[in-house]
Amino acid sequence: MFSTKFSLFSHTKELEQKIDMLHDKIIEAAMVFKKATDVYLKEKRSQTYRKLSKEIKIIEHDADTLRRDIENRLYSQNLIPDFRGNILELVENLDKVINEFDEVAHKFYIEQPEIPEKYYERFRELVGQVCECAENLAMASRAFFYDLSAVRDYSKKVYWLEHESDKTTASLKEGVFDSDMELAQKLQLNSFLTEVADIADLAENCVDQLLIYVIKRDI
Amino acid sequence: MDFGYLFFLSSGLFLGWSLGANDAANIFGTAVGTKMVRFNTAAVIASIFIILGAVFGGAGTTETLDTLGSVNALPGAFMVALSAAVTVFWMSRTGLSVSTSQAIVGAIIGWNCYCGKSTDFAVFGKIFGTWMLCPLLAAVAAVLLYFVLRRFIRYSHMHLLRQDSYVRTGLILMGALCAYALGANNIANIMGVFVDSAPFHDFAIDNVVYLTRIQILFLLGGMAIAVGIVTYSHNVINTVGNNMLKMTPLAALTVVMAQALVLFLFSSQSLRDYLISHSLPAFPLVPVSSTQAVIGAILGIGLLKGGRGINWGISGRIVAGWVITPLIALIVCFVSLFFLENVFNQVVYQPELTML
Repeated sequence: MFSTKFSLFSHTKELEQKIDMLHDKIIEAAMVFKKATDVYLKEKRSQTYRKLSKEIKIIEHDADTLRRDIENRLYSQNLIPDFRGNILELVENLDKVINEFDEVAHKFYIEQPEIPEKYYERFRELVGQVCECAENLAMASRAFFYDLSAVRDYSKKVYWLEHESDKTTASLKEGVFDSDMELAQKLQLNSFLTEVADIADLAENCVDQLLIYVIKRDI
Repeated sequence: MDFGYLFFLSSGLFLGWSLGANDAANIFGTAVGTKMVRFNTAAVIASIFIILGAVFGGAGTTETLDTLGSVNALPGAFMVALSAAVTVFWMSRTGLSVSTSQAIVGAIIGWNCYCGKSTDFAVFGKIFGTWMLCPLLAAVAAVLLYFVLRRFIRYSHMHLLRQDSYVRTGLILMGALCAYALGANNIANIMGVFVDSAPFHDFAIDNVVYLTRIQILFLLGGMAIAVGIVTYSHNVINTVGNNMLKMTPLAALTVVMAQALVLFLFSSQSLRDYLISHSLPAFPLVPVSSTQAVIGAILGIGLLKGGRGINWGISGRIVAGWVITPLIALIVCFVSLFFLENVFNQVVYQPELTML
C-alpha cells in the first residue's frame, strides 16, 4: 500500500515537472526568437542567426517530445479525468505557439526578407509585444495548475499585448504599403508581419480557453 | 448441516446481495461517476472491506441486532429479510438508490402488524426523525466541508496533478473506511435474525485465523454483499455518481466525507458520552441510512452551486422512493407472512416473546 502510494506521487511529481518544463520552453522560445530577430535586423542571415534559429528548432523539438509524453502519461495513468481533455487541448495549443516561433524564425532564414531600416524600431516593438504576450501566456497557463486566481491577471496582460501588437502590425503594414517598395516586397513583408502577429493571436486563443477552464475548475 | 436453516438463510443472503447492489453506490458512486476510480477497483476494494467489517466489526452492532432479533421465529425472520430484499432489489432495478435500513424497518413493522403486536412508536419516531435529519445534516456537512477544502486548495497553491492524487487517494481511503463501516453496521440487519440458530462451529487455522460461528455466518453475509456489488451495483452507481449531478472529484470527496461524518455522528457512543458530559445536545444512536446521507450531501453540493446542475426529476424520484420503500416492504411482508403461515403452515412468530 505504502509503496503503491509512494510510486503514485512520484509519477505525479515527474509529470508536474514535465508540464512546468513545457511552460519554460515557451518562455525560452520567446526569448531566443526576440534575440534572433534582433540579430537578423543587424546581420541578416549570419552564422549567429543560423545558430539561434537552430536553437529555436531544438526548443520546438523538445516541446513536441514533452507534449507527447504529457499526453501519454495523462491517459495511461488515468490522471485528472475531469480535465484531461482540456489539459490535452491546452498542451497542444501551447505547443502550437512554440511551433509558430520556429516557423517564423525559419522563414526569416529561408526567405531573408528585406526590411527597410525606418521600420526597424516598430518591428522590434512588434516582436517585443508578441514575445511578452507568449511569456504571459506561459505564466497564465502555469498559474492554472497552481493558483487559479493569478490566471486572470496574466490573461489580462495577454489580451492587452495582443491588442497592442495588432495596432503595431496595422501601422507597420500601412507604412509598408504606402512606401514605394516593389509590390512583391510589400507582399512578402505583409506575410511576415501577419505571421509574427499570429503568435500573439494564438496566445490570445489559448488564454480564452484557459479562462473557460478556470470557470469549469472553480465550479 | 440443517438444510431447512440454509433455506431460511437464503433470504438473508438475498438481502445481502440486494444491499451490495444498492449500497456500493453510497461508498464509491461519486468516485466512479467522476472517473477517479474505476468500477472494477471500487468493486474489489468495497467487497474486501465490507467482508472485513462484517466479520471483524459486525459483532459489535448489538443494538441493531437486538432490535431485529425481536422477530422471534425463523420463518418470520426469513420473510422479513425476503420482503426487504425484494423491495430493495425491485427499487435497484429501476436504478434508484434506496435505503436498505428503511426497507428492513418497513418489513419489521409489517411483521409487527401481522402479529398484532404494537410497534414501539417512541423507537420508530426516533428512527423516522433521523430519516429527516440525516439528509439535512449531510447536506450541511457537505457544504461546510466543500468550503473548507476549496479554501485550503486555493491557498495551498497545490499543483492540479498533486491535488488530483490526494483527492483520488482520499476517495479510495474514505471508500474503504465507509465499506468497513457499512459491513460492520449492516451485517446485523442481514444476518442478525439468523444468529441464534446458526448451525456452524468455531473455525481455526493453526491459531492464526480464528473465526467464531457467528463470524462464519457474517462472512457468508459479507460475501453475499460482495457478490451484489460485483454483479449488480453498476446501475445505481451511475445514478448516484452521474445522473443526479455532474460533480468534480473534489465534490465527490466531499460527499463521501460528509457521509462518513454523519454516520459517525449517529453511531459514536464516545461522542454521545462526551456531548452529554458537557451538557450539549447529543445525537440519538440509531442506525441511519448511508443512502440518505449521500443523496443529502449531493443535493447540498448541488444547491451550493446554484441548483442548476441538479437533475430534479431523478432527485424527486429518489426522495419519493424513501417514502415508498418502507411502505412497500411493510405491505410485501404483511401479505407474504399471511401466505407463509396459512398456505405453508409455518410459525411466523412466538406469541410469548417481546417485540419491537
